[in-house]
Amino acid sequence: MNPLFIPQPDTIPVSWGWFQFLLLLTFPLHMLAMNAMLGGLAIGLAQHMCGGTLQKQLAHRIAIALPLVIAFVVNFGVAPLLFVQVLYGQFLYSSSVLMGTFWILIVPMLIIAYYGAYLYDFRFTQLGSAGPWIAALSFFLLAAIGFFFSNNMLLMALPEQFGDYFSHKNGTLLSFGQPQFWPRYLHMLLGALAIGGLFVALLGRFRKDLHPDLANHAEEVGLSSFLVLTFANVLIGFWYLLSLPNELMLLFMGGNVGATIAFGVALLLAAGALFAAYKKRYWLTFYHAIALVVVMTFMRSWLRSAYLKDVFTLDQLQVVPQYSPMIFFFITLVAGLVCLGWLIKKTRDVFVLEGKQG
Amino acid sequence: MNYPVWYLPETGGGFLIALISILHVFVSHFAVGGGLYLIYAEKKGLKENSQPILDFTKKHARFFLLVTMVFGSISGVGIWFIIALVNPAATSLLIHNFVFAWAIEWVFFTVEIGAAFVYYYMFGRMDSRTHLQVGWLYFIAAWMSLLVINGIIGVMLTPGSWAQDMDFWAGFFNPSFFPSLVFRTFIALMIAACYGFLSASFTADAGTRISMTRFSAKWALVTLVFTLISGLWYLSVLPDQSQGLVMGKSPTIAAIQPLTAAGFVSFLLLMLVAGIVRPSLNLKPVAGLAMISALVVMGGFEWTREAARRPYVINGVMYSNSIMKKDLAALNDGGFLRSALWVQNKEVSEENLELAGEEIFINQCYACHTVGGINNDIIAATRTMSYRALVSYLKKIHELRYFMPPFVGTEQEGRALAAYIAGGLHGKEVQEPQQDAGSVAKGPALFEENCASCHALEDLSSLQGVAKEEIVAMLRTLNEISEEMEPFGGSVEAHGQLAAFLGGHTDTAQQETAIDGKAIFETHCRLCHGVEEMAPMIGNIDRQEIFTLLGRLDQLESSMPPFGGTAEEQEALADFLASINQGGK
Repeated sequence: MNPLFIPQPDTIPVSWGWFQFLLLLTFPLHMLAMNAMLGGLAIGLAQHMCGGTLQKQLAHRIAIALPLVIAFVVNFGVAPLLFVQVLYGQFLYSSSVLMGTFWILIVPMLIIAYYGAYLYDFRFTQLGSAGPWIAALSFFLLAAIGFFFSNNMLLMALPEQFGDYFSHKNGTLLSFGQPQFWPRYLHMLLGALAIGGLFVALLGRFRKDLHPDLANHAEEVGLSSFLVLTFANVLIGFWYLLSLPNELMLLFMGGNVGATIAFGVALLLAAGALFAAYKKRYWLTFYHAIALVVVMTFMRSWLRSAYLKDVFTLDQLQVVPQYSPMIFFFITLVAGLVCLGWLIKKTRDVFVLEGKQG
Repeated sequence: MNYPVWYLPETGGGFLIALISILHVFVSHFAVGGGLYLIYAEKKGLKENSQPILDFTKKHARFFLLVTMVFGSISGVGIWFIIALVNPAATSLLIHNFVFAWAIEWVFFTVEIGAAFVYYYMFGRMDSRTHLQVGWLYFIAAWMSLLVINGIIGVMLTPGSWAQDMDFWAGFFNPSFFPSLVFRTFIALMIAACYGFLSASFTADAGTRISMTRFSAKWALVTLVFTLISGLWYLSVLPDQSQGLVMGKSPTIAAIQPLTAAGFVSFLLLMLVAGIVRPSLNLKPVAGLAMISALVVMGGFEWTREAARRPYVINGVMYSNSIMKKDLAALNDGGFLRSALWVQNKEVSEENLELAGEEIFINQCYACHTVGGINNDIIAATRTMSYRALVSYLKKIHELRYFMPPFVGTEQEGRALAAYIAGGLHGKEVQEPQQDAGSVAKGPALFEENCASCHALEDLSSLQGVAKEEIVAMLRTLNEISEEMEPFGGSVEAHGQLAAFLGGHTDTAQQETAIDGKAIFETHCRLCHGVEEMAPMIGNIDRQEIFTLLGRLDQLESSMPPFGGTAEEQEALADFLASINQGGK
């Protein structure tokens, strides 16, 4: 058997359960924002290229929202990346180094994609036919970033591959050759495009009374995109399940009660979302989809634990207790939420006032 | 050693960290100071009832948003990525200790984003009182982000008692926390003024350009003074060794200081001349030059701060190459390669000498040295050294150069590293020293072992023909020639041999083989003891007992070190001391 290269983890200040809780609390937020970004941009791009007036209006509205969404994708990504480093640092730091050259490329790629999004927003009209190209470049870069994230998140769960370091010291080891990589990445990508449809429909609803045609068009486009893409994604999901090592696949098929229940609930939620989208019931689709994303993140976490269980379980992390910083964090979090609430209220007041003034 | 090394021999991780972090801090400090600048620019517009100034402020807010939200926030994530790639062990240690500080910073970052968007998109749409409140909320959140990050960065330079107990609060409120916070606050305001100066240069309306140029320059000059004062406070709380490095002992810092000073003077002059005296001179190239000057000052500070904690990445806790200080003894005893996880050669043999050496290089030296790159190239740094010089140099590397970590590992591993550098990189001969070499051959060997790490022989050609005694005297007082040198630590015999070699007196070197007990006394004892005072101290102690006592002088008097010469020299010195009461030899 080849030797395993797994670093010694550092100690943690509070029980691992707190970090798992915070990870599962914040990661769905990142996923939803990322889905809105990627799916919204793809649908906006498609609408822009379709060329009709209503389509261009919708594309423009998506373009205006995009920089704000990207800001929150990044922000909501920071917290789960922090907590996953605390829980699985010895794997994640190692896998990041193993693909270091690609991993660091994410930074310039994201900066270019983000500036592209701002350019697309601020110069939407002036750019003319160049606009979709800028949007396409941003989309390509963001999808490529997702590709690198998928590589790293899979690689960190496969420590038996870490020995390949010695032939990739320059950080060029990727995991897309693994049988489960492509279904995993496509499942994530298609899911993002589908949920992006619901985001587009939500954007259309903004000031619905002033632009009823746009709202109806956005809902039509958003729900139909969601319906088709989610249906396709269910099939890809099964492909992903079958591509997993047998032992892991069986976890969701009776091997583990919790994982099986979660899988069952996810299937029901997917069916519910598809049915609601088919019936054009937006909010019902929306809530089913949100719940589905949350359950999916739970299943993803389950899968990672199962990948690593022979070499590491979270209860092996040594706790050197110091709880006061965490309490301080929760106090800050509440204060931060109050501040954000105040900002939303004040902004809403402006929109209400402007609405009244026509 | 616990984590793999991302090995880009010609680039080096340090260069990537410097590149990302210097650009990031120049923007992230703008993100803090710029918040307050926007508030006061808006207040100025409101107070003077000037729509052009309010328009300027809104345009500047858009510029602010584009620079800080995109480049600032993504390069901030970039720093996190790059430090985790280049030094995962230190990143992991800090993340695990200060996870909730980062989590708190994340909350402030979220509020910052929300407030920045509302401030820009609601400019002119929201009532000005609420709008200014949004500006204040932004600034407070941004400053709190700075405060939190300042606590974590500070622990790397001045860990205080955290180094012992790893207590979160002791680390966070470390000895440089407050001076660093005040210093960074002023530098953030200064940089914000510089960005304002730049925006003013792009303003078409002449009156607004002049007004906002003066406004920005006043900010810059006032904050510059406070930056200087708080900088001195910051410097005063640094540990002595870090202060020494900052004040010139670190060549890395010394190299950057003239540039930083030039940037500082340039910035000062530009603000005075093109900001206060003749604001109409604030044209785009002038403002661009001010930006470059400010970037140089900021870069100089960050560069200095990073280098001031050498040889550590976390001062007193973890060396730059990720080796924990507390692990040194165990690694020296048990061997570095055996303990390192990501190596293939666990043992050193004559067959794998260079391969094992390369793995040691990657794990111990590559953190700071590139191979053939621009930054701290190991090939250039060791060009004059032979294999033997390297073997000797590695043993005392941290003594000769305080800012370098000690070599960690067994003697055999030291040989492997020397073999990789001398043989693998330079293609030089890898040959063990000849133990039985005659005294003529010892001169070059002594030079290689003791001098060649810093000097090429031709650099010392001026010593050719100088009297041997004079060179011996110089060797004993090398520290008076340069602070970076220590007096030559060899035996009396070695002094003579090295001096003979340096002076070109190789024909006389053969005469140095006889060991002179009196000369040894002069070298080792004379600094504190005269010959005449030794006579009553020795009394009638016999020669053999004197020999024994020389080996444990510290037991006679704690301030005396045991005699450190060779056994032959100890014999000769014992003979000499025993002969004192008989009139000396």
